[in-house]
Amino acid sequence: MISIRFEEKQQIGLQYALETLHGCSPFGQEKIRRLRYYTPAERAELETELYNVQQAADHADQLKGVYDKICILLCQMKDIRNSIRRCRDGEVPDHVELFEIKGYLQRLESLLPLYGQMSEAAPLRELTFHDPKPALAILDPDNTRSRGFYIPDSMTEKLRQVRRTKKELEEKLHEAGTDAEKDELRLRRTQICAEEESEETKIRRDMGARLAPLAEAMLEDAESAGRLDFIIQKAMFAVRYGGVMPEITDGPLELTDMMNPELCDLLSEQGRSFVPVSIALDRGATVITGANMGGKSVAMKTVALNVLLMQAGFLVCAKKARMPLFENVLMLFEDMQSIQSGLSGFGSEIVQFQKALNQAEQGYSLFLLDEFARGTNPDEGAVIVQAVTKYLNGINAISLLTTHYDKVADCGRAHYQIIGLRDIDPEAIRRELAVSGEDGIRVIARHMNYGLYRVEGKSDCPRDALNICRMLSLKPEILHLIEENY
Amino acid sequence: MTTAELVRQLQQVQSMSIVGMCKNAGKTTMLNWLLAHTGRQQVLGLTSIGRDGESTDVVTGTEKPSIFVPAGTLIATAKDMLRLGDVTQEILVTTGIPTPLGEVIIMRARSDGYVQLAGPSITAQLKEVSRTFFELGATQSIIDGALGRKSLGARNVADGIVLCTGASYNMSMDKVIEDTVNFCRLMDLPKAETLPPEATEGLEKCLKEYGEAYIPGALTDSMVVPLLRSGLLRGGRLVVADPSKVLLKPDTLDKLAVREVALQTKDAARTLCVTVNPVSAYGWKFDKDVFIDRMRQSVKVPVINVKEELA
Repeated sequence: MISIRFEEKQQIGLQYALETLHGCSPFGQEKIRRLRYYTPAERAELETELYNVQQAADHADQLKGVYDKICILLCQMKDIRNSIRRCRDGEVPDHVELFEIKGYLQRLESLLPLYGQMSEAAPLRELTFHDPKPALAILDPDNTRSRGFYIPDSMTEKLRQVRRTKKELEEKLHEAGTDAEKDELRLRRTQICAEEESEETKIRRDMGARLAPLAEAMLEDAESAGRLDFIIQKAMFAVRYGGVMPEITDGPLELTDMMNPELCDLLSEQGRSFVPVSIALDRGATVITGANMGGKSVAMKTVALNVLLMQAGFLVCAKKARMPLFENVLMLFEDMQSIQSGLSGFGSEIVQFQKALNQAEQGYSLFLLDEFARGTNPDEGAVIVQAVTKYLNGINAISLLTTHYDKVADCGRAHYQIIGLRDIDPEAIRRELAVSGEDGIRVIARHMNYGLYRVEGKSDCPRDALNICRMLSLKPEILHLIEENY
Repeated sequence: MTTAELVRQLQQVQSMSIVGMCKNAGKTTMLNWLLAHTGRQQVLGLTSIGRDGESTDVVTGTEKPSIFVPAGTLIATAKDMLRLGDVTQEILVTTGIPTPLGEVIIMRARSDGYVQLAGPSITAQLKEVSRTFFELGATQSIIDGALGRKSLGARNVADGIVLCTGASYNMSMDKVIEDTVNFCRLMDLPKAETLPPEATEGLEKCLKEYGEAYIPGALTDSMVVPLLRSGLLRGGRLVVADPSKVLLKPDTLDKLAVREVALQTKDAARTLCVTVNPVSAYGWKFDKDVFIDRMRQSVKVPVINVKEELA
């Protein structure tokens, strides 16, 4: 079972993605809030969902007006599921509950022709609604189609009589002269009101009992309304950020030109653009190395984001995607160490790793480790990460590690490197900086190539650190000393 | 004043708030009178600020008249209050406004009968309920308002005020009259046609620069008195959000008037009438004729004795 903590959702940009969705109905909002990930065993269901989302996304232009109308109706729906369950369980619904069930059914009734229109252009699989008319007939027996809820006099002969008497008494009361007369009328009125109340309660009980056999169908429709809501939201998300239908594989994971919506939006605010990343992973450990500031973590988080989006039934933010279904997705990121645990950063990292590894070994998993063991001395750290990498090659999981440490890449099954500053002449940037006087970090970030390339054969970590020192014009004496020992 | 005249007076405004200076001032008597005399010719929308309409006063333990509405009246009240009334209900809107007694529901009375009111307690929500009343076809909305100082805020939500006062307010008739007059005076502050610059960096600076100021918060003696002494406040304008923000002694108000400083408010409302109850719930009573005569001489609007004229 995939279970992702809120901090993790935030780190990889999943929370951001979810916050761009606007669930309309309480049922749809609940689906977004309690995001559900399909398991490998639910592959067929996931494929249906992905198909539906693609259908909705492909016809989004053509159906914009219909979606808007559907969303307005969904927005007006209230969560009536508890009231329906109460009817099903034989309890007596009160006036307000009957009003809300009626309102919900009326909205559903208006929704059906719109859903019909949508289905003509973009038929969805396994999403149908029951006809709300039989239930509506119970709540609106005179077929007034009014928005309000009122128990009409015509419900029972008794009610008609009681209400007539009540009205007569009120008229008499209005015209009564003496206090004694008024008191007498008031007393009789109180009795009549009690009779009306008990008759209405009987009618409400009866309405509840007649709704009970329809309860399951109404609950299913609420679920379907929530699904439709979520599908439309997912489709709009795909339209905004470019979604592709993934091909589901039995093991390998291949993402071509994948995107991270949060970073896309952030960068476009700064007038820059996100560089799409491509990566192919398979069982065993893959290592990403690269310069500081090069976007190793971004690449890894974008993999996690897209895997989770797909398993929640979203189209994938990439040009092309071939993806397996994971039993579990586990992440070990730098700033998630529990400070309260009392252990040092390194200690708590090992505790968390142990826990995550146990889970990863329970089924086909995606295991992400960002700069593991960074908190210890580089010699020991390198040895530890090399050993972990070797071990991860053997488990039934796709593991992805980012690291600075030497010789780790050789231990993995595959090695990716950030292109970074590979093709940049440090001297040129140093000169550019000297002239413009701009913020050095910014300039370097601008020249950084965030793309990944696959390294074949043996290779060490890139030596971009020295280049960065040069570009930022570190004291020449120090640079000299570095170069001597390089 | 005849009943017809009073009714006409009260129908001049679209939304009305009935506020009390104290408990047992005759707020509910006034409301019932209004419902009985105007509710049959028009559709009234009725709600309250918070909880009201219980049959015994929870503070003093005296019997209180329940609210009796004519058929057709729109009522906004908390869900738990619905079963305490005996009108035949037609539920029209669930507002989504929460109260401790459940969501505020708007219903139409399909018969005459008693209702218990517990409306929203936030101004913005009251405005929203009022708006919904008019959408549903109401011709006038009535808010059973708050008590004491808080009720000065009523003019945020209504354009006419019925002020209920009485012997329960204080044992001294002088004090009751003085404070009622002061209340009316604040309530009837004129509406500011334009808003002066906001006094963000102190009232003094703003007045020196512009000669007038908008005070977003409370206006207190300690802000005004030094400026009166220094002579800076002479002519010009002070504008507050609503009368509840004016925390000035009557004496200070007089001084402002002498210096020809115009005190104005952002929203406008006016007092339609004052009702008085010469009998206190706490045991004492005033001579009704003296009390009413003196009140009539002190305020500019009609004064009604709830015990006699509205009975």
